[in-house]
Amino acid sequence: MWRSLLALTAAVVPGLTLPGLAFAQTAGDPIRPLTIVTQPQAADPREYQAAQIVADAWRKLGLTVNLRPLPGQQFSQVVWYERQRWDITTWQMVGRPERGDPDELTYNLFVSANAANGYDFVGYINPAYDALAQAQRQELNFEKRRALVLQAQEMINEDQPYGFMVHPKNVVAFNKSVWDEKSFVSQAGIGIRSTWSWLNVAPLGAQKDVILNSVAPPTNLNPFNIPGAAGSWATEMVWDRLMRVGPDGLPKPWAAEKVERPDPLTVLVTLRKGMIWSDGKPVTIEDAVFSLEAPGMGDKSPMYKPFVRNIDSVTATGPDTMTIKLKNPDAAFLISSLAKLNLAPKHIWAPIFEDLKNKPQTAESIQEDKPVSSGPFRIVKAALNQEIVLEANATHWSKPKVNRWIMRIMPNVEAALGALKSGEINFLADYTGDPQILRDLAKANPNIVISEALDIGFKFLGYNERRPPFDNKGFRRALSAMIDRQLLADDAWGGAAEPANSWVSPALAAWAAPGIVNRVPGVGSLEAAQKMLKDAGFVLVGGKLHYPAGVKETTAPFN
Amino acid sequence: MRRLLLERLGHLLLVLWVVASLTFLMFRLMPGDPTLNFLSPTFNEETRAALMASFGLDKPLWQQYVIYLGKLVQGDFGMSFLQNQPVSRLLWDALPNTAVLTVVSLVLAYAIGIVVGAFLAFRRGSVLEGVMIPTALATRAAPEFWLGMLLLAVFAFQFGWFPTGGAVSPGGSMGTLTERLTSADFWWHLCLPALTLTLFLQGLPLLLMRATMLEVLNDEFITMAKMKGLSRWSIVMRHAARNALLPVVTAFALGLGASIGGNVVIETVFAWPGIGRVLVGAVQSSDYPLAQGAFIMIAFVLVVMNTVADMAYALLDPRVSVGRRA
Repeated sequence: MWRSLLALTAAVVPGLTLPGLAFAQTAGDPIRPLTIVTQPQAADPREYQAAQIVADAWRKLGLTVNLRPLPGQQFSQVVWYERQRWDITTWQMVGRPERGDPDELTYNLFVSANAANGYDFVGYINPAYDALAQAQRQELNFEKRRALVLQAQEMINEDQPYGFMVHPKNVVAFNKSVWDEKSFVSQAGIGIRSTWSWLNVAPLGAQKDVILNSVAPPTNLNPFNIPGAAGSWATEMVWDRLMRVGPDGLPKPWAAEKVERPDPLTVLVTLRKGMIWSDGKPVTIEDAVFSLEAPGMGDKSPMYKPFVRNIDSVTATGPDTMTIKLKNPDAAFLISSLAKLNLAPKHIWAPIFEDLKNKPQTAESIQEDKPVSSGPFRIVKAALNQEIVLEANATHWSKPKVNRWIMRIMPNVEAALGALKSGEINFLADYTGDPQILRDLAKANPNIVISEALDIGFKFLGYNERRPPFDNKGFRRALSAMIDRQLLADDAWGGAAEPANSWVSPALAAWAAPGIVNRVPGVGSLEAAQKMLKDAGFVLVGGKLHYPAGVKETTAPFN
Repeated sequence: MRRLLLERLGHLLLVLWVVASLTFLMFRLMPGDPTLNFLSPTFNEETRAALMASFGLDKPLWQQYVIYLGKLVQGDFGMSFLQNQPVSRLLWDALPNTAVLTVVSLVLAYAIGIVVGAFLAFRRGSVLEGVMIPTALATRAAPEFWLGMLLLAVFAFQFGWFPTGGAVSPGGSMGTLTERLTSADFWWHLCLPALTLTLFLQGLPLLLMRATMLEVLNDEFITMAKMKGLSRWSIVMRHAARNALLPVVTAFALGLGASIGGNVVIETVFAWPGIGRVLVGAVQSSDYPLAQGAFIMIAFVLVVMNTVADMAYALLDPRVSVGRRA
């Protein structure tokens, strides 16, 4: 009887059932609540505010978006090692001199070989992009390589694996009654907080010590350790390198007098004459060969090993010359390796590496009592939680004009600001507070000068393509279209940032795709974003976004 | 007394073993590991494996625990993962700074608290009491970082009388403890953090002293002293205050223990290079050996100061019996 009643209902009241049937045919399951994992507000208030602004914009598309702040270590753990678990993450790439060449980021961020456990943690897979990234790496002709890098940026713009947010500006300040403001040297993508400044800055009076701040302490200082961002400011000046990234962002011979590339696999280096280690011994070509070979010997220098992986052999060919043979052509080799690897004294470090062979420790863990170096500054004090004191090396061929370079570790940013005002520090190098407060301080104190420079790095939202619906290009493009980058730069970053839509910062004029920030598909238009979703099959039902017809929600929300 | 000492030593060892085991497990069970400090575009599984092996984290947990306890028994806290120096050296470098900050602040806070507390008890119901009690409560209740920032803003940023942070001027040498204690620069840097901690700590002894004094002042022996015609000063300080001191002395000893590990906020605000800052940095960066060492050291001081408080109580008040059970 019930069966008859149901059949009758279906026949007599078609209007009640057809819309239901039509709905079932055109919409899949509702999309689960999506979660943006981010650092806590206290750790990075700008990034957190940016994530809030973006989440608000995405809700207009019919999505439920939550923010989940995670403490620093847990945040990295989830994003890096639990790649199946999260939906969207905030992240950043910081600016470093060697990133003046776009290869490091072009290759490592998006090449599919890095998706399993490398830096392609969003799981972007595109064989066409892989080919482009490989081609630019092997192309030595600048113009041809530039064309490939531009093409790669357009491809990423098309696919939107990231929701790029901004390129932050490095905001620093100094006291112009202490320093000749014209003597600071701005480095592309770094600003005046550069090695070139510390080598060139001229004191105006009796104060001849550069005293600057760092919020975070470095790790130990040795030529085979990468001691964090602030620590690198010091090590770059303590240990010479064969090349340096110049103020223009291009590689420039430094401890090498000359560097030639007769063919794509060969690099000829002539060492500068007359260099001396701080223990009085001369810097020899054997030291240079050792410095390039040591990171590749066994597993004793894991952090520097990637930078020598492409080196096939290094051979001394004369008292001041050596030949480096590469396994594969590498356009960025001069920056990514020769401007990165520190020159280390063989007579000190060869016995250490020998000793480490049967121990679990690596070279990074070695802390010399009196580090032996050849650079323009020498370490005289390394109290890592308090301050690093470097002294000018009077015998260096590029002797600094200052006496000492002192980095005070000041975890309290407000105290650092007060220290600049009171004269305890004369260069505010690490400022993560509100830029407007600093601008106000400079307005009230005419001797304080602010310098803002666009960073090589960038802030972004990574879409996890392992988890639907982020595997859908149309969905990612719609999300990216809704990001108001100018609002983020103005509000979240207080004007100390510029909108971004590429990993290549406009600070690197030679490599950045002109105007790409305005070419985000459908940028700034809710209608355009909605059309992209519709074209991709997504359906809005009762104000909530659903998957395309027939698609079930099988992914668990982040918890 | 000997039995009590042995008993306390047993407690100390037990507590230290529990703390050592808990901190060992806590850090290893928390999400994240120290290699996350080294993430970069060139970081890969090979790099991670090499770093984990160098930290000794590639071994099974039980093996790590046995090695850790074995070393601990020999007084070896291991090497800091990030600073690559012996943990004991890093802690011994930081401990004197924390100890000086704590002792100076506690002594000041308790001296002020005892005198003012006794005085306010004596002047109960006065206008002064009406002002002082809320003031003491407010400084006690105010967050340390807020109090510290306030003092920084006024005395360092505005007037420039004191430095904004650190323990010595830029480029200066810390030297030995004796050199530090005889250095005007060190004391000049100590002023603001010590003042902050003093203001924060003085509320407890002040209120405790006042409350106990109020009780004591109603005792019969005080009435007797008044009847004997003793001076007001003699009654308050020689008779009442001495009897009211017991809980304050206990609180001092406990406060000393607690403050050794509790100065994290003040040490961070003033970049004071003490145990608190070491601990914060170590926890943030998953530097297990350093964090474990710092926790064990704090636990050690806390337990020792608890024992000292017990002993002090027994010495000051013969009616209190220790070491014997009824």
